[in-house]
Order: sequence, then C-alpha cells, then structure tokens
Amino acid sequence: MTDQPEQHPITGLDDVVHQRVRLGILTVAHQAGRVEFGFLRTALGLTAGNLSQHLSVLEKAGLVEIEKGYEGKRARTWLSLTPAGNRALREEVAQLKRLIHQIEHGSSAPES
Amino acid sequence: MPSSGTPREVLAGLGDLTRKVRAAQRGTWFPLLLLGVLTLGGILVGRFTFKIEAVACPAGEAAVGGCTLVTQGSALYWPLGLALAYAATAFFYIRRSRNRGVGSRVRPYVLTGIVLVALASATALWSLRHGVAQLGEPLDFWGLHLDPASGLTRFLERLAGNAMAVGLPLLVLARVERSRALLLLAVVYLAVELVPLSTGWAGIPFTSPWSALPTFGVPGVLLLLGALGFGLAELSGRRNAS
Repeated sequence: MTDQPEQHPITGLDDVVHQRVRLGILTVAHQAGRVEFGFLRTALGLTAGNLSQHLSVLEKAGLVEIEKGYEGKRARTWLSLTPAGNRALREEVAQLKRLIHQIEHGSSAPES
Repeated sequence: MPSSGTPREVLAGLGDLTRKVRAAQRGTWFPLLLLGVLTLGGILVGRFTFKIEAVACPAGEAAVGGCTLVTQGSALYWPLGLALAYAATAFFYIRRSRNRGVGSRVRPYVLTGIVLVALASATALWSLRHGVAQLGEPLDFWGLHLDPASGLTRFLERLAGNAMAVGLPLLVLARVERSRALLLLAVVYLAVELVPLSTGWAGIPFTSPWSALPTFGVPGVLLLLGALGFGLAELSGRRNAS
C-alpha cells in the first residue's frame, strides 16, 4: 500500500471562480446579499458588456441567480449567490489561505 | 477589483471589496438620530405627565409636612415610539438598499424591534394593571417581590428601561454593520444608562417637573452626537469615493 501524494492547493482552485473579475463579483454579492448590476459595475470598474459576459459564465455554472425587473420606468438587474455560489466562494478563499500557508511554511495547512 | 498577483494580494483585494460594500450598506446615523430624538422626547413626556401628590407616610417614617409621591412618564410613549422608530429604520434601509443597489441586512433590526416593543408593551400593561407601588410595600414584578428602595430594584428598573430598549438594538446594529465604533458607542451608552444618575448633580430636585432631564438628556445627547459623527464619517467617505 502506497501513500497518496498530498495534492497541491492550486489543484483545488476552480477556474470559473478563480478568475479575478468573477471572484470580485462573488465577493460583492456575498457581502451584499443582493446586488444591482450598476453597483457591481462601479465597484469593480467594468464596462457593462464585460460585466454581462462574466455574469453569464457564473449563471451558467449555477453560482448566481439573476433577476430582472423594473422600478418605475427604470430597468434593473439584481443578482444574488446561489448556495453553490456561496460554497464555491468559501472553498476558493480556503484554497487561497492554504496556498499562502504552503508558500510561507512549505506544507499544506490542515483542513479548516 | 481583486489583484491578479499573489494569493495574499488576491485576498487583500477581496477584503477591500468587502469593506467597500459594507460602507455602502451602513446607515448608522439614521437609527441613532431616531433613538436620540426618542430619548430626548422622554424629557418632554416626563414634564407633561409630571404629577406630585400628598400621600400617607408609611409606618415609622412620618415626616414633617407629610409625604409626597412623584410620578411621571407615559406607559404608551416607549412602545409607540419604539414601534415607529423600528418601522422607520426598516423603511429607511429598504429604500437606501434600492437606491444604492446593494442589499442590506435589515432583518435583525426588525426582529429585535418587534421583541422589544412586545416587552415594553407587556411592561406597560403590567404597570397599568397593578398601578403605582405604595410606599413601603414590596414591588411584585412578574412574580419577584422587590423592595422598591433597594439598589437591586433600581438596577433592574434601569436594565429593563432604556438600557434594553435602546442599548440592545445598538449592539445588534454594531454586529450587523460590523462596526467597532458603534460597538464602542453602545458600550458607553449602556454604561451611562446603567450607572445611577441622580438629579442632584444637575441641581434639579426630584420634585421638579424637569427631573427627567439628566436621566434622558445625557444618553439622548450621546446618541445625537453619535448620529452626527457617523453622518459626517459617511459623508466624508462618499466624498473620497467620488
């Protein structure tokens, strides 16, 4: 019987989540609970087109829920994290912390 | 935007984003302003409900000129005032959330508000049904037989009064808004409420219609100063961001 080699934390990073704009979207939505398209665009300093592309990637992956509606005559788009989105963000932050530990101490931190 | 650098830089970028969202969610000045005005309003309520009457002295405590009983305050003021303050706070946060495009965690305020209004109403009902405690008689409060003159009774009265009705929501607010400054304000407020403030230091005797002034004036001004401080901090934060 051989010991399984310990997986490097970098293998636990999800490409959909790890991309920096999408990670920013998930972080803002997590703290806000519910966030409007315009707020996200300003907070992340993106163009509307760029933000829409990233949102559709996250929506397809089932990480965010998008809700479109009107307030008066103004069209507004709100988004919130799905339970899978919350889990994915938690996991991403945990992996980043493990990576930092690995870099600084040369071994993986225990599972948190 | 999180950095694409080292994991530590990415995490630091996420922390900055989180702080930015929290700053947009905060509206601490508004509930502080309401609670401050409500507390200062207690002075006027005390003034207009002030009643002084001559009563029979308890056995062994006969005084020259007889004994007097001073009553003031309204059983309706706090339940109604708190209900309105919580409704207005919820409305304010919901409107602000829509205008700014960022959700708020208003639910804990509303829940705390409902519980406190229910408690304040139950206490008001209880005191209406039992009337004013007679001099020298033990106070029967929810099954506890308390000596009205004892330090413990006075402490419980202070604890069950504004310390609970205003101090507790401040702690909830500090938790929800993750604000250390508000936590500090809440602790100072609770200390002011729980430390006995006699009217003597202000030169106002307890038989004066304005005897509620130090009791409500000090915490009321503290809350209003807090509202001013948080309001100015929010304004300066918005100026820096734009």
